[in-house]
Amino acid sequence: MNNKSTKYLPLLVTVGQVVIFPYYILWLKQVSLTFTMFAWLFALHSFAAAFGYRLFQKRKPGTISFIYIGMGAVYVLVSLLDHSFELLLYVVLILQVFLGAMQGYFRAWHVQQKSYHLDAVHHYVIVGVTMLGLSFMKIISPVVFLGLFGGVVCLCGIWEYVMKCTLRRKRRSLK
Amino acid sequence: MLKKTWFLAILVCILGTGIFFNIPIEKRKYGLSQTNLTTDYTGLLPEKIDRVVTADNSAALQQIVKQANVEGQHISIAGLQHSQGGHTYYKNGIVLDMKTFNEVLEVNVQEKTVRVESGATWEDVQEAIQEYGLALKVTQSQSIFTVGGSLSINAHGRDIRFGPMAGTVKAMTLLTPNGDIQTLTHEQNKEQLANVLGGYGLFGVILDVTLELTENDLYAIQTEALKTTEYETYFNHVLDDPTIAMHYARVSVAPGSFLQEMYAINYLETGKQDTETPLKGEQGMRLSKLALDLGRQGGPLEDLFWTTQKRYIHSLDGETITRNNVMRSESTFMEFKKPGKVEVLQEFFVPVDAYADYMKDLGKLLSAKDKNEDFKVHNITVRYVEKDDVTTLNYAREDMLGLVILIQHGLNKKDIENAQNIIQQWTDLTLAHAGTYYLPYYRYQTTEQFQKSYPNWKTFKQDKLAEDPNEVFVNLFYDNYLSEEAAYEQ
Ligand SMILES: Cc1cc2nc3c(=O)[nH]c(=O)nc-3n(C[C@H](O)[C@H](O)[C@H](O)COP(=O)(O)OP(=O)(O)OC[C@H]3O[C@@H](n4cnc5c(N)ncnc54)[C@H](O)[C@@H]3O)c2cc1C
Repeated sequence: MNNKSTKYLPLLVTVGQVVIFPYYILWLKQVSLTFTMFAWLFALHSFAAAFGYRLFQKRKPGTISFIYIGMGAVYVLVSLLDHSFELLLYVVLILQVFLGAMQGYFRAWHVQQKSYHLDAVHHYVIVGVTMLGLSFMKIISPVVFLGLFGGVVCLCGIWEYVMKCTLRRKRRSLK
Repeated sequence: MLKKTWFLAILVCILGTGIFFNIPIEKRKYGLSQTNLTTDYTGLLPEKIDRVVTADNSAALQQIVKQANVEGQHISIAGLQHSQGGHTYYKNGIVLDMKTFNEVLEVNVQEKTVRVESGATWEDVQEAIQEYGLALKVTQSQSIFTVGGSLSINAHGRDIRFGPMAGTVKAMTLLTPNGDIQTLTHEQNKEQLANVLGGYGLFGVILDVTLELTENDLYAIQTEALKTTEYETYFNHVLDDPTIAMHYARVSVAPGSFLQEMYAINYLETGKQDTETPLKGEQGMRLSKLALDLGRQGGPLEDLFWTTQKRYIHSLDGETITRNNVMRSESTFMEFKKPGKVEVLQEFFVPVDAYADYMKDLGKLLSAKDKNEDFKVHNITVRYVEKDDVTTLNYAREDMLGLVILIQHGLNKKDIENAQNIIQQWTDLTLAHAGTYYLPYYRYQTTEQFQKSYPNWKTFKQDKLAEDPNEVFVNLFYDNYLSEEAAYEQ
């Protein structure tokens, strides 16, 4: 059971991230007011991702559930944020750092998984098919997709966590 | 380098901080536009205008006014459009945009006067007079307004010694409604000036003015926290103390101390003048805006905002500041942009000795806990305005205290009606205490309340029609309160 989740959840999350990214960019552009601000926020995300990547490389591989929950929470929050909120851009600034760092961290963890190379092939194919499929759907608002994806990633995180705990308990009882 | 985690963390911090300080505070778009609807500072009362004329020389303006008389066109005059009731434009009318008519023509150090074109801002004037150790006698607490716009509403601020702004005008060049250019002085043109000053651009275009100046004195800041009930007595001491040149106070609108607590700020003469300290720019506005935004959330956060404000003000005690710098407080942090909501100003004046009773009655009218209500009071500042014998539409028929109120409310019909209803009750309460309300702001008041507050309105109207029989100079304010239909509406 756990083997399956470590095999498929990272695939689902990487595919999901790539699929959701265009919607996230649309949203980011909408809230950024100017292109310069948008570009800076994007740059911040990338730097934060580089930081997240480095951070994981220094750690021992462990559970990733908190990263799933964190990323999911960011997407859910984005879908709930009120556009007329006075301090919106300040919140976006913080979200960009969190999201970037978590994505970098996740990527660094993922490349160390046995299933990574197979996932990479699947990932490209699934993303292509999904994007084609989504192109036939009428977008109401990017935040609907962001919220949905956020919810799914949060569930993945909880699933992963529960599985890890069960596994640990089993191991302990075997001893 | 890129392999170092700390290097990447620093990179994120630097870029994040850079972005933080570049998030724009002034996001609002308002103003003159020929393609879209024209609005003023609040964005309320959008209207289609005919055209905008940028003022750059008086001969061209004269030509436009003469032509308007012949062709039956209407003209409005716009400074920086911080007035909030459509005072600067009119349906299908021409708008004279005075912003570019902004030269400081002469600083006379001996006579302590400055001659300036009316589109200049107070900031422009301060920049020109600062080097001579001179300062303005009366202006608003911010320097973001034009000279012409401020004289046309007869503004007031923190000074408590020099009377109304209108009294500081030595001479004025006016483009009259029939297209003549005249020089006016208080000695020779008392009646005409009484209408032009505080006349909302209805008696012609102020081209340039000569203003009286004073020294750029250095003041020591003195602050005091007090109960609202103590303020009347306290303020009378302030007036009696000749060492206090300027003063203002703030009333709490936080739920925990709503209208009960105040703090006062006095600017005390030090006997020194200052030619060294430069004019200050906008300082700490990002932090001020964040604090104000927190206060805007209401409830415990508003209590926290009030406590922080008090602490900050207390920390200023004993510091020194120049007169010019007192007259150029920060303004950008007040920016408010929330779709479906608006923040407007209102100002009510009550005689000094009516203040305590007035505040008690006001406490019964307003809700202390407005967190979940649409109509929210965010700030009340108190200023002193001396009796004004200079202007016809005078808001201070005796020595008054002015309460400047920052209000937020929604923009749908129900919310506007609710705001209107509360402000009309507030105006009735003010009238019952022999007070008045200020005219540059949004017109929530009824024509009847206008007429009660400004009993000289009839003289003003008659003089207007005598000077400007073709009603060349009009605006939405005139239309609402003084046009034929409005004046007899009640
Ligand atoms: C944040 C804020 C703070 C304020 N604080 C104060 C304060 O402390 N004290 C106070 O008294 N007021 C205060 N006001 C009100 C402010 O002083 C007025 O709105 C003032 O009119 C602003 O100047 P303006 O250049 O924006 O004028 P505008 O709004 O452009 O014009 C005001 C009036 O003057 C007329 N006018 C403009 N130029 C000329 C001209 N050259 N000749 C003839 N008529 C002309 C216009 O037709 C209009 O009727 C404040 C307003 C705001 C928004």
